[in-house]
Amino acid sequence: MTTPTHGASALAVHGLTRTYGSGDTTITALAGIDLDFRRGSFTAVMGPSGSGKSTFLSCAAGLDRPTAGRVLVGGEDVTDWDEDRRTRLRRERIGFVFQGFHLLPYLSAAQNVALPARLAGHRPDRAKVRHLLERVGLGDRTHHLPGSMSGGQQQRVAIARALVTEPEVVLADEPTGALDSATARQILGLLRSSVTEMGQTVVMVTHDPVAASYADEVVFLVDGRVAGRMTHPTADAVAGQMAHLDDLVVAR
Amino acid sequence: MNALALRSLRHRPLAATATFLAVLLGTVLIGSFATLAESSSAARGTDADTLVILGAVVGGWGSMIVLFSVASTVGVTTHQRSGEIGLLRTVGATPRQARRLVVRETAAVTTVAAVLGALVASLTGHALFDMVRSGGLVSDATVYDAGPASVGAAALLVLLVAALATWVAARRATRGPAGVLLREAAAEQGRMRWWRVLAAVVLIGYGIAMAVITVAVTAHDDDPYAAMSTSGSSSILVGVGLAVLAPVLLRLLAAPAGLLVGRTGASGHLASYNTARRAHLLAGVLAPVLVLTSAAVGTLLLVDIDARTLPAGNPDSDTITLLNNVVVGMLSLFAAIMVVNAFVAAIAHRRDELQRLRLIGATPRQVERSVVAEAAIVAAIGVVLGTLAALTTVVPFAIARHEGAVPDGGLWLVPAVVAGVVALTLGAARTSVRAQSRARVVGR
Repeated sequence: MTTPTHGASALAVHGLTRTYGSGDTTITALAGIDLDFRRGSFTAVMGPSGSGKSTFLSCAAGLDRPTAGRVLVGGEDVTDWDEDRRTRLRRERIGFVFQGFHLLPYLSAAQNVALPARLAGHRPDRAKVRHLLERVGLGDRTHHLPGSMSGGQQQRVAIARALVTEPEVVLADEPTGALDSATARQILGLLRSSVTEMGQTVVMVTHDPVAASYADEVVFLVDGRVAGRMTHPTADAVAGQMAHLDDLVVAR
Repeated sequence: MNALALRSLRHRPLAATATFLAVLLGTVLIGSFATLAESSSAARGTDADTLVILGAVVGGWGSMIVLFSVASTVGVTTHQRSGEIGLLRTVGATPRQARRLVVRETAAVTTVAAVLGALVASLTGHALFDMVRSGGLVSDATVYDAGPASVGAAALLVLLVAALATWVAARRATRGPAGVLLREAAAEQGRMRWWRVLAAVVLIGYGIAMAVITVAVTAHDDDPYAAMSTSGSSSILVGVGLAVLAPVLLRLLAAPAGLLVGRTGASGHLASYNTARRAHLLAGVLAPVLVLTSAAVGTLLLVDIDARTLPAGNPDSDTITLLNNVVVGMLSLFAAIMVVNAFVAAIAHRRDELQRLRLIGATPRQVERSVVAEAAIVAAIGVVLGTLAALTTVVPFAIARHEGAVPDGGLWLVPAVVAGVVALTLGAARTSVRAQSRARVVGR
């Protein structure tokens, strides 16, 4: 995963730094991290609370501006883009899956999935929307409103919405945090198959070692730094590593 | 419980402000006219009658609109807290405790507002009396003679209505198991309770009956004002009756009205579905828009027909024109504030949802445009229904004054009122959404 060619990189950050406040009260959320996510890879970003996971995701998505360092989406440097271009970036080249689903309550499942296209001013591709909803197992619920669906069903709609624009990268922020373990496995299976079968790139921030075991690789963050990596993770190995993150920091 | 209520209040300044304003202005409006009625007991002859008519009859129409607005504002702000009430229930509050918290919190705000309103009303009441006397409606011998009784009664009336509305809304919010309440009330469609439908039917039926009586009976009366006394309040009655049905009307009419703003653009698309599927949220805006239109169109045309058809030199004419104009002016001001109030409350409640739109890639402009498009749909429905409601005053009165079903003049008043109401609604929407859509997007 080190220094691939530009064409193979879906998302990359170089020397990414984010500090809050100034003077004595400065808090460093990210202390210069370098990460490169290959196209068609599934990466889990793990770490304890306050390790900088969420800040990393916000900066990668253009929701927050880094203090220093660069963010590259599909090889293109987007760090200094203004708010309008960042909005278009989120809409067209990044897919989001949130812990709280974030569906629009007054739009049906199909309308929620079609929304990014509408916001971009395109006519939504109905066949594609239907195909994606069928893919996530909701082919019979296209006209249901979010309020009449379970949490797992809502998250599946959110995944279909994230995939509909065929983005460079899908960013998932604790996507199973609000779900029971059986439902969580279905959601993780969907994210996994979007990588394996559709060639998507997924970056998922999570606390859960079981969730991380669905990824190709796990990146551990501690105190705003990359503290370690693990390829072909298993839930047990990840849990063991999480319990000894302090050792990783000391060993560096 | 009281301490919790006060602390919770401090976290909700916007909703509290909406309630406070509604109660304050409502008390001022009803209280001012109540002082005229109280002063009548010290007046003699026709002066006493004039003051009673002014205070009780004219003030009475106004009271209806005011009380309706206060009830709907309190209802909306309480309803918006369903989620929080569910949370209280989950951590162990009984339905009774949760209800008491909401009722006491609202009582704290409304009491302060009503007392302040009563104080202001004793000043504005005096000013209103001076205006009536300098207009020559009552003789100089008659003096302002109102104590705390009239403004106090007005304040009490507003407080009682606010308390009742809070209690009803809080009861609805605390019914059922705790877990269910916590869920986002996304699928809710604003179902109508039977007593609401009944109230609407009674109001609309009464208004139409008065219109029929005007044409059939009072039009032939020797007193030219008999027809006005029966038809004058019809537009307000029917307007308030339709406003009570606002959630249902909005849900039914949002789709056809949505065609006006166009469904093809992303903003129009979002707006037409939001107004139809979450009619209960925007119904709070539709109600004052509708009442404002019906009251203004109905009363202004009534005054216009009256001035045109009455033989010149009738001394009553000036009095009644002035009075009607005062009523239209005060009610328009009140309704305008209610429209702004309702929009600010509705948008404040939707902060999370507008953020969500920004997160998935809507530009601030798109968010703004979708909210303004919603306002356009609501305004379109409101002015059409409001104008229809106004017909129940205008048509019978025009017939009674031998102008036929369509008045001979003053029709320009209709587009003028409509333009004013639409501009007000769109302006309120734009201002209240601006602050939110321009805020920085944050994750989660």
